[in-house]
Amino acid sequence: MSERTGVEERQRTTGELPGFFGTQEPLPADEIRPEVWDLIDQWVAAHPGGRERLIPLLHRVQEEIGYLPFPVQEYVAQQLALSPIEVYGVVSFYHFFTTNPRGRYQLKVCMGTACFVRQGQRVLEAIESLLAIGIGDVTEDRLFSLEQVRCIGACGLAPAMMVNDEVHGHLTATEVRKLVRKLRARARRESAASAEEEASGDEPA
Amino acid sequence: MATNLPDSAIPNPLTRTDLAAIRSALSTQLATRLESRRGETPVRREVLVCAGGACVSCHADSVAQALRDEVAGAGLQDAVRVVEVGCMGLCDAGPLALVVPDGVYYPMLDPEKVQRVVSEHLAGNTPVADLELAWETPEGKLLHSREVPFFARQQKIALRNCGVIDPASLEEYVAADGYRALEKVLFDLEATEVLDALKRSGLRGRGGAGFPAGLKWQFVREAAGDVKYVVCNADEGDPGAFMDRSILEGDPLSVIEAMTIAGRVIGSRQGYIYVRAEYPLAIERLEGAIENAWRCGLLGPDILGSGHTFEVEIRIGAGAFVCGEETALMRSIEGQRGTPRPRPPFPAQCGLWNRPTLLNNVETWANVPPILLRGADWYAGIGTQRSKGTKVFALAGAVRNTGLVEVPMGVSLAEVVEEIGGGMRSGLPFKAAQSGGPSGGCIPASAADTPIDYESLQELGAIMGSGGLIVMDSSTCMVELARFFLEFVVDESCGKCPPCRIGTRVMLNTLEEITAGRGRLEDLDLLESMAAHIKGTALCGLGQTGPNPVLSTLRHFREEYEAHVVDRRCPAGQCKALLTYSISEELCNGCGLCAKACPSDAISGTIKHVHSVNQELCIHCGSCLTACPTGALVGH
Repeated sequence: MSERTGVEERQRTTGELPGFFGTQEPLPADEIRPEVWDLIDQWVAAHPGGRERLIPLLHRVQEEIGYLPFPVQEYVAQQLALSPIEVYGVVSFYHFFTTNPRGRYQLKVCMGTACFVRQGQRVLEAIESLLAIGIGDVTEDRLFSLEQVRCIGACGLAPAMMVNDEVHGHLTATEVRKLVRKLRARARRESAASAEEEASGDEPA
Repeated sequence: MATNLPDSAIPNPLTRTDLAAIRSALSTQLATRLESRRGETPVRREVLVCAGGACVSCHADSVAQALRDEVAGAGLQDAVRVVEVGCMGLCDAGPLALVVPDGVYYPMLDPEKVQRVVSEHLAGNTPVADLELAWETPEGKLLHSREVPFFARQQKIALRNCGVIDPASLEEYVAADGYRALEKVLFDLEATEVLDALKRSGLRGRGGAGFPAGLKWQFVREAAGDVKYVVCNADEGDPGAFMDRSILEGDPLSVIEAMTIAGRVIGSRQGYIYVRAEYPLAIERLEGAIENAWRCGLLGPDILGSGHTFEVEIRIGAGAFVCGEETALMRSIEGQRGTPRPRPPFPAQCGLWNRPTLLNNVETWANVPPILLRGADWYAGIGTQRSKGTKVFALAGAVRNTGLVEVPMGVSLAEVVEEIGGGMRSGLPFKAAQSGGPSGGCIPASAADTPIDYESLQELGAIMGSGGLIVMDSSTCMVELARFFLEFVVDESCGKCPPCRIGTRVMLNTLEEITAGRGRLEDLDLLESMAAHIKGTALCGLGQTGPNPVLSTLRHFREEYEAHVVDRRCPAGQCKALLTYSISEELCNGCGLCAKACPSDAISGTIKHVHSVNQELCIHCGSCLTACPTGALVGH
């Protein structure tokens, strides 16, 4: 790759987009951690090849930051010598890729046939009314985001949902309420613990 | 996961002599895992813990750990080994373990049960009778463990190693006849003999279309060009199908061995496995298996000194159902949007990067090594006239024993649902089974005696598909089911061709009108004619088969559609807009949540007293049904 242009440099530091996505709502630059740019550089350097690298790279980046904001998409395009629209075309085509930040707990309710037959819809409705969010949304506190997915292959446990990578099966509206309460408590405990750590100044050097 | 030999004991790369040594060292012990010898005290026991996807999600790993701790605590670590194996099939009973050579299954294990299994069975030599898997026949006879019809009625070829070997152990795979088929192909057989065996075996593609596998291999072998590719389609997108996932999780090396064989036969050096991103465990185990095979020289240059070079890479999908279609899948591997293209040219001539490409589904690959090892005639002797061998079904829905079953082609749906599946969980009557996912159709209970094979399912308006079998009892509304599948197709349509993009949308709108109680009788004719047009004109399999669920439910359950549009009634009690809501006096605890949820103030009552629904004001939205915590609210 040739030397970085001034535009690229500005993007890396501010997340500001001069080009294709300029009309899109800009995201606060501080949400994109600076390591991401290096991650992309390193990945591209370690994986020589052509366009077939695009989907694996997007997977890697989303794994790191949870979503694919436009500045990142455009940076990926530059690094793989593609146009931004080609990257956006791929991102928007595949359900797995998202341009919205996700919650700390991603609730993925299975809407496969087995779950459908065993009243998966009720699970989804229960979550929607409990968290007051719809599919694709994230709660204001960024704790929960809700998605429906097509069959997670846990049909034996239907109706099922995934919380991040963990599968929960045999769900009912009551179970869902319990689970959400548990996750909220876990989040409170974790943030209390980290606050304590900070306060005591005990962080590893 | 544990392996049998320490890493340093595996020579790198392995020779044929090494493979033979591993087999003679381990195969006797491995054979005991298939036995059911009771009443004797074996020198050595093994506890096989199911580590399939479903069991892992109900914490099979902590059960395995608890078993190891208890075994060590009882001082039995030399006499008992705990092994985590692939999916045993009975997903409903997880976490599930099998004690061998006794052949005793223990379902739904927890720490307390683990304690008893260790102290009574492993230390005390007496199987724990009240914890053992048992099944009462309709005649009142009690069957145990392997006698239970769920296990006894199966015949495992593709799943032969699932639930038997440790998927992380290359040695166990080798000891279970692994890589013997590859050795045969590399050293004893001509490529044409392999093709001939595949053709004579009658193996047909297990991904859905049922194209003869041997013929496909031959086309790619004969295609011009020196760069060719081998691809495994593991983009198992049909909702309700999880057999490919289980094979990848439980026996990943069988797929890798089969692809290596294909590489030799068609002249390819590079394979790709395209897996769904939704299957993290399968990806993890595949990565481990590929690494093991590389380390032992069973992938890479000059495999077993034969001069054959073959590599396999994993490509992870990104959640697009249409990528299960072969041309779309290849575009996705190339880094493009996964849209299909017209065929011909077929992938056998012009596939990945425009090179000849051999594409088979996971289950098809898993069948290849046993066919080459045990002979085409053996395989062709199983099944029906035109559908040979076995088929794996993912049994799910309203059936009691959900899980994975492999049965010979030609068994009847009734056998699978009633005997292996154990009938309906709810006790309601069996209504229909849906096979083939969004491309398939419904088989009504009245046709349950039909033998399951490619042709007879097609005659019924369903398809074999990948093998997802969703069982439904009388509480499932067939119109709503058709709407569900169509919604899926609309969501997953890639948008390239108008018949699929627009046509299925129009059909969905029509169905939504019907389930909302605004349908007209002529809508049913509209659905039928739209379906015919879409089937005839759509670009790829997704669109061409998308209307099938509607057509098959219209064909077998037309009276249910008519009840929706003529009587404004949903016989199954599912379509909210067509239900009358009432509150059971016994169950209502007066919490008031229903009244709070009701948008039209149709529910009244004071707190801690029984509430009631005013039918005049009710707008049939069903919000109260979701809100009620006690099940007092019912819709008829």
